[in-house]
Amino acid sequence: MRPTFDERLASIIRALSEVVLPHLPPEASLAQEQVQLSIGHLQIMRAQLDQLHDYEREELADYTALASALCDAVTGGTQTQAALAALAQAISDGATQPVRAARKAVNEAVDALVRACVADGAPGARETLTRLILTQEHERIQKDRKWFAPFGFDTL
Amino acid sequence: MDIESIYQQSFAGRRNWKGRPPYRAALNSEITAVLERFFAAKRPGAAVSGVRRVGGGASKEQFFFTLSSNGQDEKYLLRMDPGMAITETDRAREFTLLDAMHGIVPVPRTAWVDNDAEFFPQSAAIMHVVSGVAKPSGSGVKVSGLGTWLGPEMRAKLRDQFMDHLIAIHAYDWRAKPLDRFDVPDADPKQAARWSFNFWRELWQIDEGETRPIFALADQWLADNLPDTADLVLTHGDYRTGNFLFDEDSGRITAILDWELARLGDYHEDLGWVLTRLFGTVDETGTFRACDLYEREEFVTEYERRSGRSVNRRTLHFYDVLSNYKCYVIVAANGLAAAQSQNNHQDVLLTFLGGTEPVFANELANLLSKGAEA
Repeated sequence: MRPTFDERLASIIRALSEVVLPHLPPEASLAQEQVQLSIGHLQIMRAQLDQLHDYEREELADYTALASALCDAVTGGTQTQAALAALAQAISDGATQPVRAARKAVNEAVDALVRACVADGAPGARETLTRLILTQEHERIQKDRKWFAPFGFDTL
Repeated sequence: MDIESIYQQSFAGRRNWKGRPPYRAALNSEITAVLERFFAAKRPGAAVSGVRRVGGGASKEQFFFTLSSNGQDEKYLLRMDPGMAITETDRAREFTLLDAMHGIVPVPRTAWVDNDAEFFPQSAAIMHVVSGVAKPSGSGVKVSGLGTWLGPEMRAKLRDQFMDHLIAIHAYDWRAKPLDRFDVPDADPKQAARWSFNFWRELWQIDEGETRPIFALADQWLADNLPDTADLVLTHGDYRTGNFLFDEDSGRITAILDWELARLGDYHEDLGWVLTRLFGTVDETGTFRACDLYEREEFVTEYERRSGRSVNRRTLHFYDVLSNYKCYVIVAANGLAAAQSQNNHQDVLLTFLGGTEPVFANELANLLSKGAEA
């Protein structure tokens, strides 16, 4: 029998909470704060560990869907066409890249398209791009808010 | 890039920090030793004792200490830059401002500054200690003072002072009493807004924040919608609950803190910052209160009534967007870069604060959905 990730994290949290924290002197305020934050981080990571892979794959799928919609809907001059070609390449490469690298590449290509569209997007292209990004991000952000809700900052 | 000259220098320094070795939080004994060297030069014969770290934020390392000289004990606060702060600021400029504000609004009294890190490992300043708390006792643990709950009784005591001090800062006559190390953004009507936007945009690029579509859209929207500033005022830059001290018994504000982001600019910028959702609270009826002091419209109209200034809603909308853009840059680029490079003493706090990213992304999406108008 081998310890699972969950068991290992649980034992670390217990050690920090019940052994380390109570023995820190009152004047060690920074150490107390950092142990408490560390415990909080670990508790959230422990609760999310089994869902992490699905969360990140869904995130990439959402951004790829937005990127594809932008490729279909946005047109323009030389700069916009170059940005669209780079975006299409990022989508294609993403199928074989690690998830986080693929997400970063797709979003950087969308970022470049936003700028290129300002330079020489076709009439109405900026409005289309803005509408598609706002629609998709409204949905994506709600998933991110739910994921980060355990941090306690968001009243949702 | 069009930006205030002092930041050209500090940004160059920030770029260089990234390759440096990790920074470790200073120990009390190390701070005691450096303070002893400092006072051997500045006040020979004085003795340093009781060095004690102050918990809290990641922008500065802070320590209380006692200086004994000629039979008298005086308490001081040392504020020292960590290896890499969240943002780029200047201790000498902060000192200039605190001296200028003395007698206008409650501020800590300045004592010594070591802006060029001649004695301290990084740029440092020493202030006289001010009594007071940043949040009510028993209000619970709030990371970095975000969403501090003041409650009805304290709210009633603090809100007029909060407003009046902000108005007094904006009324400072910087033309008659110029502030050393502060540039004036008067080359054209949009320069004040452009300097502020460029400051954060450049920090984002230096720290290589990972973009997402809503941030790209916000960045472009801000560049396209820079407002004119008709009335240049002194702005605090980080005016909010959590950044002032108050006496719990009387409810009197004893010190306005954290002036390092102050600049000459547009008063709408401070208003937008005060109104940032994450700095406020939502009560049991769902009512949002900015800094747990004012409802949004109430804050705007009360500012207009007391200051005699008018609030341009379109300009305020721009600064609402910019405020959330700034926060996004801070949590998703600056804080994470400092943590990743291990050049800050609060890595674990900075990565925890990264959990606010969706809050600011959500605010940006909601604000941009309104278009150019509020």
